[in-house]
Amino acid sequence: MTADPNPTTTPSAIELSATGLTLGYHARSVVRDVSVTVPPGRITAIVGANGSGKSTLLRGLARLMTPRRGAVLLDGRDIAGMAAKTLAQRLGLLPQQPLAPDGITVSDLVGRGRHPHQRWFRHHSDADGAAIASAMEATGIAHLADEPVDELSGGQRQRVWLALALAQDPDVMLLDEPTTHLDLAHQIDLLELLADLNARLGRTTVLVLHDLNLAGRYAHHLVAVTDGRIAAEGAPAEVLQPDTVASVFGLTCEVIDDPLTGTPIVLPRPPADSRRST
Amino acid sequence: MTARRDTLLLHPAGRGVAFRVSKRSVVLTAALGLCAGAVAVLSLGLGEFDLRPADTLRVLGGGGTLIEYDVVVRDRLPRAVTGLGVGAAFGLSGAILQRIAANPLVSPDVIGVNAGASFGALLVITVFGGAGAALVLGGLAGALLTAAAIVVLALGHGHGGYRLVLVGIGIAAMLSSAISFLLVRAEYRQVLSAASWLTGSLANRGALHVTIIAVTLAAAVAVLLVFGRHLRVLELGDDVASTLTGGAGRVRPVLITTAVVLAAMATAAAGPIGFVALVAPQITRRLLPGGPARLAPAAATGALLVIAADLAARLLFAPTELPVGAVTGVLGAPVLLYLLARANRIGHTG
Repeated sequence: MTADPNPTTTPSAIELSATGLTLGYHARSVVRDVSVTVPPGRITAIVGANGSGKSTLLRGLARLMTPRRGAVLLDGRDIAGMAAKTLAQRLGLLPQQPLAPDGITVSDLVGRGRHPHQRWFRHHSDADGAAIASAMEATGIAHLADEPVDELSGGQRQRVWLALALAQDPDVMLLDEPTTHLDLAHQIDLLELLADLNARLGRTTVLVLHDLNLAGRYAHHLVAVTDGRIAAEGAPAEVLQPDTVASVFGLTCEVIDDPLTGTPIVLPRPPADSRRST
Repeated sequence: MTARRDTLLLHPAGRGVAFRVSKRSVVLTAALGLCAGAVAVLSLGLGEFDLRPADTLRVLGGGGTLIEYDVVVRDRLPRAVTGLGVGAAFGLSGAILQRIAANPLVSPDVIGVNAGASFGALLVITVFGGAGAALVLGGLAGALLTAAAIVVLALGHGHGGYRLVLVGIGIAAMLSSAISFLLVRAEYRQVLSAASWLTGSLANRGALHVTIIAVTLAAAVAVLLVFGRHLRVLELGDDVASTLTGGAGRVRPVLITTAVVLAAMATAAAGPIGFVALVAPQITRRLLPGGPARLAPAAATGALLVIAADLAARLLFAPTELPVGAVTGVLGAPVLLYLLARANRIGHTG
């Protein structure tokens, strides 16, 4: 996490919050009466077991779902009433499985992140060009500009999608499990990149993560979701306690300090009758 | 595939106005358009009153005799113009739908628009004993009603892509059984006249057909000029599309409706000429690699396909004339099989 003396853009840290948010599909409510405030300018990780509603919560924050009750507030304003273009300029999302059209090149795909800043009679501006170039630079993919996206590795592809979201230049960036399908080295690589970007640009970032240890290392703020509700919230060291992990994940564990970073590490405790280790 | 060097920015009114154009796309569209025009000129000279292409051009330029003018401009031109227009409309329709659904197997034929038009026209033939303009109206009504049903059912819950395909396939299946029912109940004479229409034919086209397709294309181009740019994000999947448009539910119905109406009007004017909408965007993608089919070359490809298929339909078994849809079917079916073989998993974009 190195501080850049000359950040390319400085979006002021914008606060995103939910009040009494209830979200659901059909008859079932998946997220129930959730009130949460995402700290501005920091990285927040939403963690929870499979089916706990963490991705749904993220989708609700991105206005991909209409709340049953409650509201999502961006900088104090209800996003439900925001003009489409305004919202598209302010909220960025990297979904779990984005779709890259066959044969499309890296620079073409990244450029599409500028869509909310363009009009039907203005397909390009100098600001678009600058934002695309700086997004590709920041994610280290400038040299891949003319490569077809389908021919990249999983890690590179994820950087391309991240560059698209950066080119969009939103106030708040939401990422839905950005590290799935990546091996450990590439997971670390991507999270280091996110942490670095956050340190340099101070953009409010929310991500859903599966891995508690990575969440504990890279997030400033953890939100633990269980059964559609928030079970615990706070700094990683506060949230990642043995009893919280037990109630949220149904996992008995020990928590130790990472000798390298000092962040909490969750060690699942083997069952008492386990004889495999002997 | 250097996307950046290929891009040309047009500034017709200062820096505040910028239209992005792909150089390769412009060149390809012009080349395909020229080919389609050449085939049309060739086709205009053919018939009982034969003309060399040079003479045809002279007549088109206003330099012919009264008889030549009558034959070329009055009799044959509507057929050629309808063919070009219908081909362009099918090509556009297919390209839009395939990009929105991110699926190369989507086309108005597959999702039931053509079946709707056929059903409407068949009702006119068998129940009301109509022909000519009544047939066009029947086809139009059938296609538009089907289109409306598809749009309402497919978009009712705010989803695009797969829902559109599934709803369309269901509607197409229902309509084809209804078509079979009407054909079984019809008289022999009616079945014969229906069969020609159901294959798609450009024979005996007149000012009515030209007007239908010209007005439709003009309206579609206007809509696409404003909304076409959204295709660039709609094809990135529902979530990214919604994020970058602030809610894809706003723009997706406009584009789907445009595509479906294009196909409906084209079918009303020339019958359900099969496979053009499916194949044209795929040919375009292969001629212009590096992304999904662009709209202008897809339209030009469609125009060339239909006008060339019509010429072949007239020449292959001369003096007997085949309906143009028979030729596009024979050529298009293998392409469909190829695409099916390539789409080894659902959602693969070919």
